Amino acid sequence: MDNGSDAGNAHHLCRNSTIQHGHTVLLKLPNGEVRSIKVEKDSTLSLGRVGSFFANELIGQPYGLSYEIHDRKLKRLPPLAMQDIAETDATNELINDGDFVQPLSVAEIEDMKKSGFHASEIIKTQIEQHANYSLKTEYSKEKYKQRKEAKYSKRFEIIEPTMYEVCDYWFRKDHHRIRDIRTDTLSQMLNLANVRPGGKYIIVDEASGLVVSAVLDRLGGECRIISINDSDSPPAYPVLNLMNYDKKGLAKVLSTLNWSTAQEDHVPVHAPLDPTPGCIYSERQRARLDKRKVASDAVMKTRSELFAGGFDGLLVASEYDSFQIVEVLSPYLAGSAPIVVQNQFLQPLTGLHAQMRQIPRYLAPSITEGWLRRYQVLPGRTHPTMNTSGSGGFLLHAIKVCVANIPSVV
Amino acid sequence: MWPTQREVAAGDVVIIWQTRELIQPLLITPGKDFNSRFGHYRHSDLIGIPYGSKVTSRNGRGFIHVLRPTPELWTMALPHRTQILYLADIAFITSWLDIRCGSRVIEAGTGSGSFSHSIARTVGPRGHLYSYEFHEARAEMAREEFVRHGMQDIVTLTHHNVCKDGFTVENMADAVFLDLPAPWEAVGHAKKALRKDRLTRICCFSPCMEQVLRAVNALNEAGFTDICMYETLLRPHEVQQLPTPLSLDNVVSKLKRLEKFREEKRLRQIANSKRKREEDSDIPEPDKRARIGEPDTARDEGGSRPPLISDPHIPPKADDEVNEATVSWSRVCHEVRGHTSYLTFARLVPYPAETSSNGETEGLTTTSE
Repeated sequence: MDNGSDAGNAHHLCRNSTIQHGHTVLLKLPNGEVRSIKVEKDSTLSLGRVGSFFANELIGQPYGLSYEIHDRKLKRLPPLAMQDIAETDATNELINDGDFVQPLSVAEIEDMKKSGFHASEIIKTQIEQHANYSLKTEYSKEKYKQRKEAKYSKRFEIIEPTMYEVCDYWFRKDHHRIRDIRTDTLSQMLNLANVRPGGKYIIVDEASGLVVSAVLDRLGGECRIISINDSDSPPAYPVLNLMNYDKKGLAKVLSTLNWSTAQEDHVPVHAPLDPTPGCIYSERQRARLDKRKVASDAVMKTRSELFAGGFDGLLVASEYDSFQIVEVLSPYLAGSAPIVVQNQFLQPLTGLHAQMRQIPRYLAPSITEGWLRRYQVLPGRTHPTMNTSGSGGFLLHAIKVCVANIPSVV
Repeated sequence: MWPTQREVAAGDVVIIWQTRELIQPLLITPGKDFNSRFGHYRHSDLIGIPYGSKVTSRNGRGFIHVLRPTPELWTMALPHRTQILYLADIAFITSWLDIRCGSRVIEAGTGSGSFSHSIARTVGPRGHLYSYEFHEARAEMAREEFVRHGMQDIVTLTHHNVCKDGFTVENMADAVFLDLPAPWEAVGHAKKALRKDRLTRICCFSPCMEQVLRAVNALNEAGFTDICMYETLLRPHEVQQLPTPLSLDNVVSKLKRLEKFREEKRLRQIANSKRKREEDSDIPEPDKRARIGEPDTARDEGGSRPPLISDPHIPPKADDEVNEATVSWSRVCHEVRGHTSYLTFARLVPYPAETSSNGETEGLTTTSE
């Protein structure tokens, strides 16, 4: 079985192992910044200071490789290895801030760049002219080179759009829009909700589609999702764009209702009419009627699917009253199904916990907060990173149990 | 894996939830009984009930919840043969290693199977887990467990020392997870097992920093890149229902009342003792109790003298101090897990080996942290 090429199977939303025309890809620039960029055939992609190149160069390439821009063409680079650093007796004893150390002017560096010098040559020249470079410790030299590298290098890396990378990208770019869901919290949500191939899930996602995308990606589309949202039209899930899913395949596994159509007593205001017999319709009228019928039928079908119940899990990341959400949707969960509610604040979950604890239908509601610490691991320089994210949000999870008391037969 | 039908059937493994601290697996075997301090139950009584049911005991002494097993419940219920992995680590590793439906994953060692169950669930029947355990008895117990849980088609368990003998597969794994005392000894073998046509990933799970440093070196030397290390934990919060805190106004008025009461008492005592001194001059034997101002019933019975002014009781609490309203507040539990292991991750990039030796390597190569 080949993981990369079962795109022919309509039930599976496969992540491509190579970059295709029309895909949105993530690029990591020398300064660590990650950018998303759409790869359109025959276009020129611009990465600002790093340069620009022909999009066709990327099409068909696997993910994870590094490139350098040369005259709008790309050159593949080997991945960067970690280098050992020799211990020396150097200290910063004789290095003072504010000393004039670099005779090479900004204009001279600009000239070098314009005449096509490679980043490594510019940095080499800077080092040669640097008055105190030799006084620096090896660690400090390394940092200096890295800083310059980030500035002049024309290197970039294509990041594979794994859920981890996509979540990380959004968390750094705009954590508010994904409700502060950090990679660790997102992964806990998937596990706590027992997300498994073939499962059926109800998702309330006001985190820009991050939760929906994560479930789809984890299961390669081998699932059924009904997402409930607060808008009249299907929700815009910007995170989903990075997954480059085929629209038709997506529609098969993901359906949406809004809070009104998800009510059992909901009556559509404009019921679509079957063409009145004897009436003559223009082509346009007929098309419009058909379209409305298709849309309305889809909603009705999704409604009956929801109300039939038996769902395997409920995932909620919403700004609305979470107790109401849980109360409205938990009847559609199968017995023993997990309920996972995320919030960037603790207090709403504390309130939800107190309310759920009163109701025997919810077993063992628990609140947790993720804690994540990254370390720099470089030879002789291993330590936790100085800056880190303070919180990745809070989770409440519980298990839906059957209310009816089953007495053991006497 | 575990059955997905709605009702409990004979031969199912269910999770019996008694309390948060008492969660245990049970293989439903007609004819057997389940006894605990929460009552007596016949297995046959549980057959046919919906998963998630609350069942009361035959002797009325308690109740249990019969749950469908999930890897997360299994982690809480499983018999420990070794130190096990918990949710926070399992979830984060799964996500970083990009383990999904259809992934082919290698795990060494199997241990108590906490990680194995979670991975088997995630990769599903389209994926596969190759699990290696060098301890024979533990391997055998895990094998039986995997069969009991219907995972034998998803998991291949090998009794094998991977540090010495390597893995049984080559060029095909999407991800490798090493939970070994000396993961650096297996890094070379892991590289062989990983597929080379696309980006793959590895994780070393080590409790000690010294192990991390050696693993990092081995990974770097074997050509793995983007080496990074994380620690992750769950901070459980407990919610308590507490009376709404009183306003300071209550304290102030209480203190004022007390102050007034104490002053009145002082004046009363002065008045009493003054009167007593006058009376005492008539009585030869002084009554000690009267001197400290306590009411003396014995003397009252005599009824010949007027009673001393007795102290009123401490003023009763005002109504507004009795607070019926409550609030739900939460705090981090008092004792929490502080460390499990360091998670060292790295990637293996599908960079063709032949082009890596043609002098493209630059002088300025360091990982950008």
